[in-house]
Formats: sequence, C-alpha cells, structure tokens
Amino acid sequence: MDEELKRKIEKIYKDTEVEFPERNRMVVKTKKASTLSILEFLKKEGFRQLKAISCVDWIKEGEFELIYHLAPLNSPLHVMVKIRIERKNAETETILKIFENAKVYEREIYELFGIEFKGNPDLSPLFLENWHDLPPFRKDFDTRKYVKKTFDEIPSVEDRNERT
Amino acid sequence: MRELELYFGPQHPGMVGNFSITLKVEGDRILEAIPNPGYLHRGFEKLMELRNWVQNFPFVCRINVIEPDSMEAVYAMAVEKLANIQIPERAKYIRTIVLELGRLASHLFGAWAYANMLGFDTPAQWAMADRDHILDLFEELTGGRVYHIYILPGGVRRDLPDGFEEKVMHFLHALASKLPDYNETFFENRIFYERAKDIGKIKKEEAIEWAATGQVLRATGIKHDIRKIEPYFAYDKVEFDIPTRVDGDAYSRILVIRDEMLESAKIIMQCIEKMPEGKVYERTPNPFKWKIPEGETYVRLESSRGELGLYLVSNGGNTPYRVHFKTPSFNHGLFILPKLLKGASIADVGNIMISLYVVAPEIDR
Repeated sequence: MDEELKRKIEKIYKDTEVEFPERNRMVVKTKKASTLSILEFLKKEGFRQLKAISCVDWIKEGEFELIYHLAPLNSPLHVMVKIRIERKNAETETILKIFENAKVYEREIYELFGIEFKGNPDLSPLFLENWHDLPPFRKDFDTRKYVKKTFDEIPSVEDRNERT
Repeated sequence: MRELELYFGPQHPGMVGNFSITLKVEGDRILEAIPNPGYLHRGFEKLMELRNWVQNFPFVCRINVIEPDSMEAVYAMAVEKLANIQIPERAKYIRTIVLELGRLASHLFGAWAYANMLGFDTPAQWAMADRDHILDLFEELTGGRVYHIYILPGGVRRDLPDGFEEKVMHFLHALASKLPDYNETFFENRIFYERAKDIGKIKKEEAIEWAATGQVLRATGIKHDIRKIEPYFAYDKVEFDIPTRVDGDAYSRILVIRDEMLESAKIIMQCIEKMPEGKVYERTPNPFKWKIPEGETYVRLESSRGELGLYLVSNGGNTPYRVHFKTPSFNHGLFILPKLLKGASIADVGNIMISLYVVAPEIDR
C-alpha cells in the first residue's frame, strides 16, 4: 500500500519527494504552493486525522519548516507533510478548509513563531499576555537575555535585607 | 433574554486544574465558549533547547502532572531512536509495568475529579486513597511520589526492589475487590447515570473529523489504540482488549476509563509473570558530552488520555534542536471542548470538561 501511495503522489505532484525514513513513517516533502491540494489528496486516501502541526526554525537557512502530522485510523502509517517557507515575512495559507482542528495549531504557531496563516479568522494570543517582543520560540529570541532584562531589576533577597 | 459574559475558572469549584473558559450565556444556555489556556505556560519546549538530552527529564515529566511516566517514556523513546540505542528486554517489561501503574493512578485521579465535581464524595475519596497506594509503590520503586524520572534513555534507573512484584499484585487484587463498591456508588449508580448520560455527545464521524483520540474516540465505538497498532516496549507480548462503547457521551467515556483500569491490571499481572531476568540499563555516554546524530523522529504512545506524540529534531549537538509534544489535551481542550459546550447548560461545563479528561499543564506546556 505504501509504495503504491508513493508512486501516486509522485505522479500527481512533480515537485514532491516521498521517503520512508523508518518503519510506519512517511515523509512527504513538498512546496508551499501544493500544500493544500496534497493534504486534500491524502485526506481522501484515508489520512483523516490531523494529529498536529509542528514548526522548526532553521535560522541558518533562513527558513521555517512546517510539518503537518496526519494519520489514518486503520493503519499504523504516520505521514509528515513538510513545507519550507521564507523566514522573512513568513506567511502561508491556512488549511482550515480541509482540517478544521488546524485552527488551534495555527494559532499556537502564529504566537510562538510569528508565521501568519492567511484565512485563519482567529490568530489571537493563546498562552502569552501583553507580549511585544519577538515571537519567543524563534531561534534568535534569547531566553537568557530576556530573563536578565526582565528579572535583574528585582533586587536579590540579600540586597533587600541589607537595605532594611 | 439578555446575553451575559461569564468567566468560568480558574477559581471555580467545577473546574479541575488551571484553566479557564469564557462563556457567553443567555439564561442557563451557553451560546459560545472560549477556552483560555496559558496559566501554566512555562515554555518547556523552548527551555529544553538549552539543556542537554538528560537534563531535560525534570521538565518532561512536569508537562503532565497527573501522569508523568508516559511523558518520560515518550521522550526516552525518541532519544533512543535518534541515538540508535536498544534497551534490555527486562527494562521493556519494567517500563510497561510503570506505564500501566501510571495509567491506573491517572484513571483513579480522573475518577476522583469526576466524582468529586458531581458531589459523589465517598467514591471520590476511595479513588484518591487507592491512587495514594500507587504513589507509595512508586515511592518505593523510584524515590519520588509524583515525579519519578525513572525511565531514562537506555532503560530504567534501577531494578525492582525485593518483594515489589508481590506488593503490586496485592494492590491489584485489593483494587479489583473494591470494584463492586465503586460500581454501586459511582459507575453504575442511578444518579450518576442520569447526570452523565447524553451529556457532551460526539458522533462517530465527528470524533474522526475532529481528530479525537483516547477515550473520546473509543467511546464512539472505534477500536483504536497505539498499544495495538504500533506496539512499543512489551505490549506485543501481553494480551489485552481495547474497551469501547458506542454512545459517545460522557457516561460512555467514564465506562471506557473504568474498563481500561481492568485491562491495565491484566497487563501488569502478565508482565510480572513473563518478565525475564537480566540487566535493566544500557550504558549511555556521559550526558555532558553526549552528542546525538543529526535527524528527526516522531514517536507516539498511548497515554491515559490518548495518543501522545513527540516530534524531536537533533542537529548533531548535545541539546535538542526542536521539541514538540503532541498532547491529547491540546486538541480535546481547545478544539473539541468549545464545540461540545455550545448549547449545553452552565451546570454541565465541568461535567463535559472532566469527561473529556482535559488536563491543563498538557495544553500549556
């Protein structure tokens, strides 16, 4: 079944590579433009559940990688559809029309990585409150610097004791 | 009638955990529910990028406070896969026992939360007391009651102490003997049945479409369990069933949870019987010098709440490059919960939320 699926995908989508890195895992590397149609194709093939959307910040290459995790119910195969998008003005199309539960994952990625999902009506902050800094999960956001900046102004307990 | 906005939680008796929901209500009916997570957001996934592969364990277990073992196990599995480590056979069995004990503790905690919220104080206290016996067992095994950090890449931290198997067996028999009491006061109680039947109903097609996992999926009649479709550790060497129900409501979900406890007990007993002798730990390199080859992996296991996944990326360094946990509560709590709350009454908010088995730290991470 797996090899047949690979042939089918590579026949329809010329810019797509299909790999099997380990047992029960399939990686589909595709271009941003064909994301929607390939996800729709896979959904018709039985991959009916969107398990999650992951995002990786490849800062050296100047790209974000989005990974759509799909799985069917009746087979152990787990598919990862990967696309790369430019880090500058990062944006891509929402997949809400195909997988409704992408809503919350896209909202999370918008907040933590700053990738804009065009067409998603609700990209309001999920976890953070009054956040004006860089999106915190980007590689160029320095957690330690942020902690120093935010919390160093509070004097340590010893200092406070000395003063009183 | 006038439309009002109502803040439900985090300080609300019907709310378990640090989670809040903004409700738009008209009279007693909910027009719209907006979940509001973030009270426990600690940014673990980012912090883990700054610490080495073994230092991350204290973070990992705190992602799910109620069932930390499945978190440790999924992270250890991913690290082992990337570093290509084979764990000893005995460690596989011990991990299975620990995971199932964790599942029992988690289900008992879930039963406590549900019973307590609906006012069934007696079975709630029993469930909490029984969970405490498991914590005692964990304390003897690992030194910690709630967080264990027992499962490490390469196996488990140490072998079972003397007489541990007998104590586990004794506990399981004691728990099984209490089941009729639990049934009478809680699971098959008429009052509970009336309260939970037809609440938060999900159809089979909807459950698939909304990417439900765990009890939420199984309560609609779909036999789906990662332990069966992609067996890990010793799950392919033991026999057990996947309990299902067909109605897809809150009552079906809690019955699936009850039946799963019996299956867990069966698995633990078989593991104790079949466990081979041998070492429990494969030596791994010094954690401060341990570099893991470049690569990425997605591993998954069946936690007490559904499919728990971990997408782990290494760029060849001694810290992870990216960690992303796919937790069942994220989808259940932020996506399915508001759908079920629409049209429900205010009195059923806690009822529906606990029946979905949502745990807040898992959402926030």
